[in-house]
Amino acid sequence: MKSYKGSSILATDFYIRPISSLPTSFPSTTLSYPTRNRFLSTRIQARLIHDDPVKQSEDLSFYDLLGVTESVTLPEIKQAYKQLARKYHPDVSPPDRVEEYTDRFIRVQEAYETLSDPRRRVLYDRDLSMGFSFSFSGRRRNRFDEEVVEEKSEWKKKWQTQLSGLKRRSNQKENSNSMSWAARMRRQHHHMSDDDSSS
Amino acid sequence: MAEPAYTVASDSENTGEEKSSSSPSLPEIAVGIDIGTSQCSIAVWNGSQVHILRNTRNQKLIKSFVTFKDEVPAGGVSNQLSHEQEMLTGAAIFNMKRLIGRVDTDPVVHASKNLPFFVQTLDIGVRPFIAALVNNAWRSTTPEEVLAIFLVELRLMAETQLKRAVRNVVLTVPVSFSRFQLTRMERACAMAGLHVLRLMPEPTAIALLYAQQQQMTTHENMGSGSERLAVIFNIGAGYCDVAVTATAGGVSQIKSLAGNAIGGEDILQNTMRYIAPPNKEASGLLRVATQDAIHRLSSQENVQIEVDLGDGDMVSKVLDRLEFEEVNEKVFQECERLVVQCLRDARVESGDIDDVIMVGGCSCIPKVRAILKNVCKKDEIYKDVNPLEAAVRGAALEGAVTSGIHDPFGSLDLLTIQATALAVGVRANGNKFVPVIPRNTMVPARKDLFFTTVHDDQKEALIVVCEGEGETVEENHLLGFFKIVGIPPSQKGVPEINVCMDIDASNALRVFAAVLMPGSKSPVVPVVEVRMPTVDDGHGWCAQALNVKYGSTLDLITLQRKM
Repeated sequence: MKSYKGSSILATDFYIRPISSLPTSFPSTTLSYPTRNRFLSTRIQARLIHDDPVKQSEDLSFYDLLGVTESVTLPEIKQAYKQLARKYHPDVSPPDRVEEYTDRFIRVQEAYETLSDPRRRVLYDRDLSMGFSFSFSGRRRNRFDEEVVEEKSEWKKKWQTQLSGLKRRSNQKENSNSMSWAARMRRQHHHMSDDDSSS
Repeated sequence: MAEPAYTVASDSENTGEEKSSSSPSLPEIAVGIDIGTSQCSIAVWNGSQVHILRNTRNQKLIKSFVTFKDEVPAGGVSNQLSHEQEMLTGAAIFNMKRLIGRVDTDPVVHASKNLPFFVQTLDIGVRPFIAALVNNAWRSTTPEEVLAIFLVELRLMAETQLKRAVRNVVLTVPVSFSRFQLTRMERACAMAGLHVLRLMPEPTAIALLYAQQQQMTTHENMGSGSERLAVIFNIGAGYCDVAVTATAGGVSQIKSLAGNAIGGEDILQNTMRYIAPPNKEASGLLRVATQDAIHRLSSQENVQIEVDLGDGDMVSKVLDRLEFEEVNEKVFQECERLVVQCLRDARVESGDIDDVIMVGGCSCIPKVRAILKNVCKKDEIYKDVNPLEAAVRGAALEGAVTSGIHDPFGSLDLLTIQATALAVGVRANGNKFVPVIPRNTMVPARKDLFFTTVHDDQKEALIVVCEGEGETVEENHLLGFFKIVGIPPSQKGVPEINVCMDIDASNALRVFAAVLMPGSKSPVVPVVEVRMPTVDDGHGWCAQALNVKYGSTLDLITLQRKM
């Protein structure tokens, strides 16, 4: 793993990026924590460079982030994402720009996660048409949407049925000795979530 | 043949500081190491392809064990055993990967008590006592030390053959390893003088190899960026791992991971228990005979087992495949469950799967193959990988890619986008585990959640960081904890406590916490940044101790969004 000599960054290094005109007004501020070692210096460096991906990406829509139009198809989204990954992923980015590229990569990922899910894309498009073009607004509601979406999905239902069938089968002969602790815990966890959904 | 000196660096915790990179001018190509529960291999990019190194006996697969019978311990790289049984006299320690980073309450540790070397547990959540029999005395050791001795041998072997110093490595690890176990692996590497560039979940190494093969075959019809979905299933002696990967243009995106500590060792022990006379389950002779029988059952319908255990105890039995499958039913069910879970998490239908890749020593068991074909609705298993070499080849590719090596023919235009195998989160809402970065989030990742206080004028809050899938804190691995202080006096529910988690490309986890008050644009106290994990062995006590000491006085609850 990389050197962490610079990771004990002084608390004064953080800064606050105010986000105005968000549809869901909470939280009113978002925090920016130090990204990587040499955080401050790169930020300053980045500002001196004309084409600053970090700064730009803050006000881009998900479509802008992926460099596609709003009429883009799913295969095109996947392709765009993989191409951008080849550029911004820390494994392949130029060593002197790893930190800012990683920031950009995380944003591209958020864009991809939302736009590659048809239901989430619909919700995002709705926000976008109402004038909330910030990628950040999409990010804020990701989790909430995810829960709604997951309940309806066919793929989930299908595998869920199979999983509970498997569980039933193995419970019939249950003596949990040979199962690892984690397996038992996961099983317990699944039972709990089963109960929740049936109620 | 001169005996190499086995020097192991000091067992220091400060491995982070040693990890400065080597000379920037000439990048050293990192070697890939596949540390298996029963066998290991090491490979490196030789400038045009992956080359698997061989030991002095011309073996690519090297048995993972260390014997302590002589003055200096010797591992499976150089050591020659006259017979397999020599491994079973108590002088050799093996299955290190099943033991590393586990506490003495862990069922996997308990299952290891049948092994010929000494595993003692006091069942209080601390490191188990492990020892080898040397001159009729138990010499204590640790899984990290055993692994380090073995890795030193591997390193010396590689250095001799490559005629250069070997320092940077990419190591494969099981999907189910907790961050705590990963730090133990890193520590073993540091003790052996190795610098870990990446710890790669095993199926993701195979995914990278697959991505390269796809890249090569689609090179002719350039531009066809069609995505291929593959299920990768790996089952070795100690662990079973599953991944779903979407591959296009040399980029392998891991969509989901699942894994558990089940494997050939469980199958072996179940089968031994089934055929052994009472109180003879731990016999080394029986172990060897059973192992051999299981291997033969992959190609035969039934096998004859004949063992003379001494003291008039004889085993003479015909074991058929159906019986064998019955005895190990739970192992096979768990394999199936992992695959189904992985497909569900990846949101993939069985009809969408292009390839099913099976690797690992136990992947040739007919029942396991049948399960995969059935769940994935495929008639054929992918044929272009060697089940025993795929992981190390993938690790060597990753080693070349992360070392910044370029290949003029484009064979290294590859990238793996990793995903988290386990969720990381904090304790909140009573004793609940609230994930901040969920399982199967693409890495590098950075996510945050807002929490608030549960008491009026609560000045401090305890951030307890865990990893796992359980509902409550106890069901998960505790990674560490810290306290935020100086929250301004206010009604409960008013302060906004932001917890942010960051996982970088090398999988290092950092946790940040900041306190905001409504209307304030900046945190009211300095932000806290902690690298995790911070706890050591016996961490189970820490969670309990915190409960006893603080109860719910420093609790957090998730902040409801004002919609």
